[in-house]
Amino acid sequence: MELTFDRITKEYGNKIAVDRVSTKLGPGVHGLLGANGAGKTTLMRMACGVLRPTSGEVLYDGTPIDRMGGDYRAILGYLPQDFGYYPEFTALDFMEYMAALKGLGRREARERSLELLSAVGLSGEERRRIRTFSGGMKQRLGIAQAVLNDPEVLVLDEPTAGLDPKERVRFRNLIAGFARDKAVLLSTHIVSDVESIADRILVMRAGAIAMEGTPVELAALAEGRVWEAEVADSEAELLSGRLAVSNVHYRGNGSATLRYVADAPEIPGSAPAAPGLEDFYLYMFRDDAEPAPNARKMKGGSHA
Amino acid sequence: MRSLMWFELKKMLSRRVAIAMNVGVIVLLAGVMALNVVQTKTENAAGEVLSGTEAIAYVKAEREAHAGPIASEQAAADIAAYQEAVFSEVDPDAVLQMTGSAVYSLMLETYGQEGTAELYDPYWTTLLNPWRAPGQEPAQTAALVTPVMSADWYGAVAQMTQDALDEGQGGMWEYSDAERSYWTEMQASIDEPIEYGYVGGWGNIIDCIAFLSFAILAVCVTLAPVFSFEYQSGADAVVLSTRHGRGRLVAAKILASLIWATVYFAACAVVVAGVSLASYGADGFWLSVQNIALSSPYPLSAGQAALVSVGLMYAACVGFSCLTLALSSRTRSTLSVFVVDAVLILLTGLVPSAGVGALERALALFPTCFSNFNMLFVALESYRLGPLVIDLVGMVAVVYVLLALVAAPVSIASFRRHQVS
Repeated sequence: MELTFDRITKEYGNKIAVDRVSTKLGPGVHGLLGANGAGKTTLMRMACGVLRPTSGEVLYDGTPIDRMGGDYRAILGYLPQDFGYYPEFTALDFMEYMAALKGLGRREARERSLELLSAVGLSGEERRRIRTFSGGMKQRLGIAQAVLNDPEVLVLDEPTAGLDPKERVRFRNLIAGFARDKAVLLSTHIVSDVESIADRILVMRAGAIAMEGTPVELAALAEGRVWEAEVADSEAELLSGRLAVSNVHYRGNGSATLRYVADAPEIPGSAPAAPGLEDFYLYMFRDDAEPAPNARKMKGGSHA
Repeated sequence: MRSLMWFELKKMLSRRVAIAMNVGVIVLLAGVMALNVVQTKTENAAGEVLSGTEAIAYVKAEREAHAGPIASEQAAADIAAYQEAVFSEVDPDAVLQMTGSAVYSLMLETYGQEGTAELYDPYWTTLLNPWRAPGQEPAQTAALVTPVMSADWYGAVAQMTQDALDEGQGGMWEYSDAERSYWTEMQASIDEPIEYGYVGGWGNIIDCIAFLSFAILAVCVTLAPVFSFEYQSGADAVVLSTRHGRGRLVAAKILASLIWATVYFAACAVVVAGVSLASYGADGFWLSVQNIALSSPYPLSAGQAALVSVGLMYAACVGFSCLTLALSSRTRSTLSVFVVDAVLILLTGLVPSAGVGALERALALFPTCFSNFNMLFVALESYRLGPLVIDLVGMVAVVYVLLALVAAPVSIASFRRHQVS
């Protein structure tokens, strides 16, 4: 099972949202990291066949998904970012509606819906109208519908938005268990969400894949560029504006520990620190004006 | 498929605006129809004003007193009898010189309340109708009718159609030869003798059919979000990425919409027809439509005319439903879909034709314009399509069937090709 992006590009007028992305996704969790506007959502929409690429194509096991039509959508699960619900539906109505759309029989739809609502912590809320749900509950419902058909390809756009820490842990466990023999493409700009469950991370910048690798490999790229320094409380805020600071810990005695990324120590007395994925991310995006390594520019165009 | 349709119906009907509109229109229709009964008024022979069911019963009895076929000889004999009665004490030449109100006063003065009431019975008005000039009192018309004229009563009835064709809707429309022969042949196909009688219930249905425009509007309000809400809410991304999102879902949406349009329209039609028939009576289904207007060239019964009127409103309902779905599939703004519907359904009735025949014929195709007896069955509204002539009844049916056949595939294609961005 393999999902292939073959030089996939999406342009909106003069703007290039996704720029000749080519990559292959096999079984496992593929984290898609990038700042807002990097093209993650556009790429995911094209992966789901709800947005036609300007050029290039998405293939599932070598067959263009356009040609597969309903057969591809039958093995797909998708949680879009900020998607709408039907406010007057109950959670169970919504799940059964989605199950009908995904081609599940009535009995299977009911059983699977109840099972998944329980898995996302919504048991007991099945008969409640969605309009009464909190943002986190809606998000959990969205996650549940995405896996209703036990998809081969699961695309999750910002799935942890609105979830509290406990729910995020539950989500991570759910996806980790689910992804053993399936391709999961998960976009987020919360690095810790993918750090623990992603087998591979794709870093998007200005519509292109700027870098990819395992979390350990990517974190290693920040080796020797992560520093910690003790500064006065009053200085910490000033330095946060100037440096790519990943963490400030106010110690309560008038001093603070500042963790930052830079090619060389910028604060006297800085000591090197072990890098994490978040440090790498910060290092990578410390200057958004810098073009991605393999990004191209259209004549007269700009990136969305 | 059935469960998808069920969920689509649930989506449509769970919206508060839709619930309010659908319930509101049913209540409005029931109220208007009840008010129509309560406000029916007539004057009996003693000069007392009757209202409501009493008035209806009186009118019914009045018509039933003369019920029966109007054979040519019968018409001539009855007109002669009427002339004898009305001119027994009044000079026919004198009434021709008087105004209408003066004639009425003279009748009251001469024959008293009951005698005058008898002379103003609708049966005489019907008999004298072929020669009646606008504003003329029955006695004035009777003064002009000779035995030779009344002997050819059916000829005079046929002549009404010819006069209307010559008059060309006040100079607004010049009928072609094809149109003239179309209407002439239609008029000639009316069965003789016409049977006089009471058709109040069926007539009232046709009179009130325009209120079904509100039912069409309620259907459109219900259907406006069918596609646009998916775009507006962002649910399009998730439904279009499902197995049946671009196939069965679209079919389910359209079928559920048409089922709801049909069920709701039927419920509203039942209110209009039910109150009419329960209050005015279901008598006279097979009596000719000329009981409502003698000048109508249609060889239909009053009941058939009522069914045709309801059928045309249903065709408009289906056409507008499909148009609403097509608009909804092209925009994320539910409000703009509703505004277009409201303008086309309600406001077209307020647009003046300014004496332009083509504009008048175009406007006649909208529900609030065609939904009255005169427009459908009396006004000789015809359309020339090359050598073919189609009357308003046929044209309305054709237009709305075509609209449905074009608009439904547009909505299917638009939703299937929709790109989430």
